[in-house]
Amino acid sequence: MGNEAIARGFIEAGGGFASAYPGTPSTEIVETLSEIANSLGIYVEWSVNEKVALESAYGASISNVRALAAMKHVGLNVAADALASISYTGVKSGLVIVSAEDPSMWSSQNEQDNRYYGMLTYVPVFDPSDPQEAKDLTKAAFDLSEKLSHPILMTPTTRVSHTRSNVILDEIKPPKTKGFFLKDNSRFGLVPANSRTLRDKLINKWNSIKESLENFEPYNRIENIENGKVAIIASGVSYQYAKEVLNEIGNYRLIKISTPYPLPKKFILKGLEDIKRALVIEELEPIVENQIKNIVNEEGLDTEIEGKSYVGYSGEMSLDRARKAIKEFLGIHVKQTNIKKLNLSIPNRPPSFCPGCPHRGTFYSLKRAVNSLMIKPIFSGDIGCYSLGINSPYDEQDIILEMGGSIGVANGLSHVAENQVPIAIIGDSTFYHAGIPGLVNAVYNKSPLLLLVLDNMTTAMTGEQPDPSSGITAMGEETKTINIAKIAEGIGVEKVVVFDPFNIKESTDKLKEVLSYVIKEKKPAVAIAKKACALNAVRIANKIKVEIPIYQILENKCTGCGICYNAFACPAIFVKDDRKAWIEPSLCTGCGVCVQTCPYDAIKPVKIIDKRWDSIWE
Amino acid sequence: MGINSKINIVIAGVGGQGIITLSKIIGDAAVKENVKVLVAETHGLSQRGGSVEVHLRIGDVYAPLVPKGEADILLSMELIEAARNIDYLNQNGIVITSDVILRPPIPGVKLPKKEEIVSEFERNNIKYYIIPTKDLSEKAGSYLSENMVLLGALYKLADLEKFISIDSIKESIKTMRNPEINLKAFELGSSFITGI
Repeated sequence: MGNEAIARGFIEAGGGFASAYPGTPSTEIVETLSEIANSLGIYVEWSVNEKVALESAYGASISNVRALAAMKHVGLNVAADALASISYTGVKSGLVIVSAEDPSMWSSQNEQDNRYYGMLTYVPVFDPSDPQEAKDLTKAAFDLSEKLSHPILMTPTTRVSHTRSNVILDEIKPPKTKGFFLKDNSRFGLVPANSRTLRDKLINKWNSIKESLENFEPYNRIENIENGKVAIIASGVSYQYAKEVLNEIGNYRLIKISTPYPLPKKFILKGLEDIKRALVIEELEPIVENQIKNIVNEEGLDTEIEGKSYVGYSGEMSLDRARKAIKEFLGIHVKQTNIKKLNLSIPNRPPSFCPGCPHRGTFYSLKRAVNSLMIKPIFSGDIGCYSLGINSPYDEQDIILEMGGSIGVANGLSHVAENQVPIAIIGDSTFYHAGIPGLVNAVYNKSPLLLLVLDNMTTAMTGEQPDPSSGITAMGEETKTINIAKIAEGIGVEKVVVFDPFNIKESTDKLKEVLSYVIKEKKPAVAIAKKACALNAVRIANKIKVEIPIYQILENKCTGCGICYNAFACPAIFVKDDRKAWIEPSLCTGCGVCVQTCPYDAIKPVKIIDKRWDSIWE
Repeated sequence: MGINSKINIVIAGVGGQGIITLSKIIGDAAVKENVKVLVAETHGLSQRGGSVEVHLRIGDVYAPLVPKGEADILLSMELIEAARNIDYLNQNGIVITSDVILRPPIPGVKLPKKEEIVSEFERNNIKYYIIPTKDLSEKAGSYLSENMVLLGALYKLADLEKFISIDSIKESIKTMRNPEINLKAFELGSSFITGI
């Protein structure tokens, strides 16, 4: 996998420090490193957010340890403040920032081209085309970063990060894990007087950075140089698509780019020799295209440069998209592929809360609470598994912006939206990440809102990475659990309740209590739904050999009312032709919450439940 | 390698059914034999229950994704997902699918029936194989081995031995938890095809 290849590149480069906040499609980089950290003696952490991850990696780098910080593309928005300053001070040992891009938004709220951050902050951008190159380029990036004393940004996309392919390995270099920070506050202390000097130095340094990318084979290379007239220029993963298209239609000149910013000018000019027309294939924004147009302009060449007008902007590259663009550019007829189509209406299958997910109980109870108080709620949502509460039958995510956004938005709503009650809904990991300042703000500015924290003691969405609620570090060491109720109380929230989302009555009552408080007292309140992620609970049960209690429907009692499969909507509960419910034993995780939703007492465990079962979910 | 120097397989299913594992088994076996392989997961959100696709390309290939209309094989762990992804199939492509139907947990959702899906395959002259993966996996010893039943059927029907030897596939299966059950499931899937 591309992400594992990046992790391998890091250890082949002798890296000693890696930090990340999990986010698809970047998570496996540091997850892989965390699994081997102890055996290699390197330091690996899940940081509380991307900004802290980058600052931490920087701290290691300026103490002479090679460091990597990984995040998803939107994570770099959070870390951008640090990045923009780091380019001023430069680094000591190699510092590589991996920002995994997600064109087509497979698991993101937007698609943005983080190669722009290279332009904005004077940081070179490397963009690998496949897993092999992801590994090799990571290694090359560490060497170059150290040589230039400058950070390097890598921007693999989903189709590199999440593609498995053959990778030839090199030797692992023994890691350097300890160093020394040599004080130099004229360089590391960014007060304006220093920054002005460093700004001029940065501009000069940039020229040597550009020069160092001029001979960067095989990552930047010209294929089929003997063929003139037209050229295809492809950056990052788009190279692989372009390469396959040229294998189909003929060996036109192909200029492969792995350093989309800054583009090495002499290399590009060499690639454009004898070329009348060139087409740039790249995902998202015209970063390479515009730089090449500039170069052509500066040199007064009459080479025609095309790109986005053939390729388009949105979504990830595909073979047919690259094929169509290249053929149209070359004036080759594009044959329509026959696509088979069935005359059936096929329902969507969006991801849903897992069987046993505590969020299902929370959303079910929240709906009951607001209905019984007859209030008009605004569900200000956030980024995590609970974003799926946007789907039917819950419909309890009215707004979803970005990590931690739920509380800030609810703050604005609380001062303006009349006769509506803002309910910010956030998970534990997202609360630590960027939610705490929002809560401080709500208390300070006396914002009447309910903050509902869904604490499942893990970063579930990205595959259960531990977080400050888990009591364990990335390297498997026990650590303090940072108590969310105490944070809220410490900030000054006067009404804080904790409830068990597997208990529908208790959950509904507590939610009614805090909502009534917010409405009556016009002050913020916090409710915390605390229960382990079902995936973790089932894993623990299997490990310590506790049998999972499977539930079943009593045929004679079930009336087919549909509450369990339509309103509670557990994916383990199916509907039979007679509308009665049926629980699939291979999917049931034994949470038993459906029992409480059934008005006819028609759901029972198949066997007696193991005494240890409840404690697994604590 | 001639015109058949590559194969495009799209694997579909529902998150949690084990299609990532299935694709890893093939990928590992190909790597062992030094055959170029690309396995691209398009699952995005990592939790269960949603539609999942994996694109698997073997041979003389560079691009990670299979375009619509260009899959030689559509392999599906679930019948509705097979119908959903039919647009990937090329003109002579084959559908190999489990007979299982899973209802998406959406209130009041209407599902096509097995007979309707099958008659649509036939109306469109699509070559299809429906595998009783649940029965065969239970016969192998665990309903968790449905993916290996399907792999057995795939190996036979897709002429995968042109690229990967059966020994490498089996070696790869042996690295799984419960290798005996999974190997048996693989065999049962293969012999189901031989028996048709």
